[in-house]
Amino acid sequence: MILYTLRRLVLLIPMLIGLTMIVFAIARLLPGDPVALAAGPNATPDVIESVRQEFGLDKSLPLQYWAYVTGLVQGDWGVSIFTRRPVFEDIMTFLPATLELVAAAMLIAIVLGIPLGLAAAVYRNGFVDYLTRTVALGGIAMPRFFLGLLLQLMFVSWLDILPLSGRFPLIEIPPEGPTGFYTIDSILAGDWYSLTIALQHLALPAFAMSLSPLATIMRMMRASTIEVLQQDFVMTERALGISNTKILFKYVLKNAMTSTLTVIGLYVSWLLGGTVLVETVFDWPGLGLYATQAILSQDFMPVIGVTLVIAMIYLVTMLIVDLLYGVFNPRVRYT
Amino acid sequence: MTTTPATLPKRDQSARLENWSRAFYRFRQSWLSVVGLAIVAALVFIALFAPFIVPHPEHVAGGTNTAARFIRPGAEYWFGTNALGQDVFSLVLVGSQVSLFSGLAVVFIAILVGGVIGAIAGYFGGWIDEILMRITDLLLTIPSLILAMAVAAALGTGVTNMIIAIAITWWPAYARLVRGEVIGKKEEQFITAAKALGAGWPRILGRHILPNIMSPIIVKASLDMGFAVLTVASLGFVGIGVKAPTPEWGTLLSVARADMPDYWWTAVFPGCAIFLAVLAFNLLGDGLRDVMDPKARR
Repeated sequence: MILYTLRRLVLLIPMLIGLTMIVFAIARLLPGDPVALAAGPNATPDVIESVRQEFGLDKSLPLQYWAYVTGLVQGDWGVSIFTRRPVFEDIMTFLPATLELVAAAMLIAIVLGIPLGLAAAVYRNGFVDYLTRTVALGGIAMPRFFLGLLLQLMFVSWLDILPLSGRFPLIEIPPEGPTGFYTIDSILAGDWYSLTIALQHLALPAFAMSLSPLATIMRMMRASTIEVLQQDFVMTERALGISNTKILFKYVLKNAMTSTLTVIGLYVSWLLGGTVLVETVFDWPGLGLYATQAILSQDFMPVIGVTLVIAMIYLVTMLIVDLLYGVFNPRVRYT
Repeated sequence: MTTTPATLPKRDQSARLENWSRAFYRFRQSWLSVVGLAIVAALVFIALFAPFIVPHPEHVAGGTNTAARFIRPGAEYWFGTNALGQDVFSLVLVGSQVSLFSGLAVVFIAILVGGVIGAIAGYFGGWIDEILMRITDLLLTIPSLILAMAVAAALGTGVTNMIIAIAITWWPAYARLVRGEVIGKKEEQFITAAKALGAGWPRILGRHILPNIMSPIIVKASLDMGFAVLTVASLGFVGIGVKAPTPEWGTLLSVARADMPDYWWTAVFPGCAIFLAVLAFNLLGDGLRDVMDPKARR
């Protein structure tokens, strides 16, 4: 298991090198001149040329790539041509906000999705089954940004019980801590007031993001549970007189989890790349808003940086999912 | 010993027609698929004829009527009017054009590019397969929405550029699908027979393998149409994509955000249009999958 993990980690390195090449190539081969944009409309050709030299954009593409990759390894992810701030620091500032949002959304989806999917499979064609099927159909088709707007309309304008947008009120001091998650940090500090505020701000965007993974997890869980319930070992266990509850929670759940796990893993990365929409609706200061800003000003370095971070998290998530297979299904052994 | 052909049971339908009617029967088994088909048909009709049937075609072209700003939905303006006094009903109806057309174009380009690359990788195998599939895998790890946004922003606004930007992020999925199908088919005996008859690889791929792997591609394409409509609207919503005055659902929604919550109808109707379109294509796709790929039926 340890050896397998190590080998998988080593295999990530060529993947990452290829990834930097592709992302770099896409960013640089696209039309558009960020230098002219950054230097401003009144810049003379001399000024533009000096900015170009400052960022090393006058060199040939392979040389630029080499400079970028060697910097990457040393923690220097380039500088935003617009704000002139280091990209790595910026990403580290915005990443926790996005991760907290995705984690909260996945938590809602998993905590609701797995029991509901299980119940739908056990009571087929019952009330729960119809409920989950309707939610699943609607949840996949519902645009997250539209759901966000509807939630704002309902909980902010009509019911007036939750804040409209943002992650923390500007006049308050956000909790500080090792994780960068406001919720966890305030729990660690025992600051219940901050926790309440953080949760109030988190509730709507997290729910808006959780609907489509919730729908998929429910469907997946239902389908795989039905499949497992029809297998021979379940009948044997029934014949042996093991209670239905015990069969369901001890044997069926474990077997049905494997395919659901893949979906969960895929959704983590999908949500990370798609936070842009929910972050725009709720002015959530995360990677998505940061990337949008950079994209609109054709600022390469932040875009490449964000893409790399998300792709890396995706690769690591898939590795964790593969390792978890072994936990749920001992037949999968890694050597 | 003579047998007369008259003893064979008589068919009142040709075999081909029988296949079709059986397929349609299976499709009808789920009323949700029929609903999906009906909505999609209605959407196509609206997209084709919207400019001629909407009550206020002048607003679609960018005309404004500041005397009639923010009128509530009613008999005169079914979906109300927006900040510029434009009829939201007309805008939403015509907005279906961009969504449907771009969705279709994205899926078509993705199938074309992904299909060719996947077919070549699957048929030839070896190092060609290795190189093409590694590139495909890498592209699949890149967050597609961010990539599409970056490409669209760099190419500039416009429907064509948006379609290209989204298609760039979509073909890898089809390349994977087609590669798998081609590998499954290329060892079959009728392929060996075609080779023995001296057919070249373009002919084998195009005439013998392709017709046999169409079903999964069509099923994936119809399921993807909904997602393509959603992606087009998403790009419009973040402000990259089609620019005014061309009405597009995502752009309409993004503009209407500023007028929430007092003038909710400016946002709710375009949003519902996106939801309905995506839902309809998903239902249709599910129905087609039941017909073409009965094994995958839930």
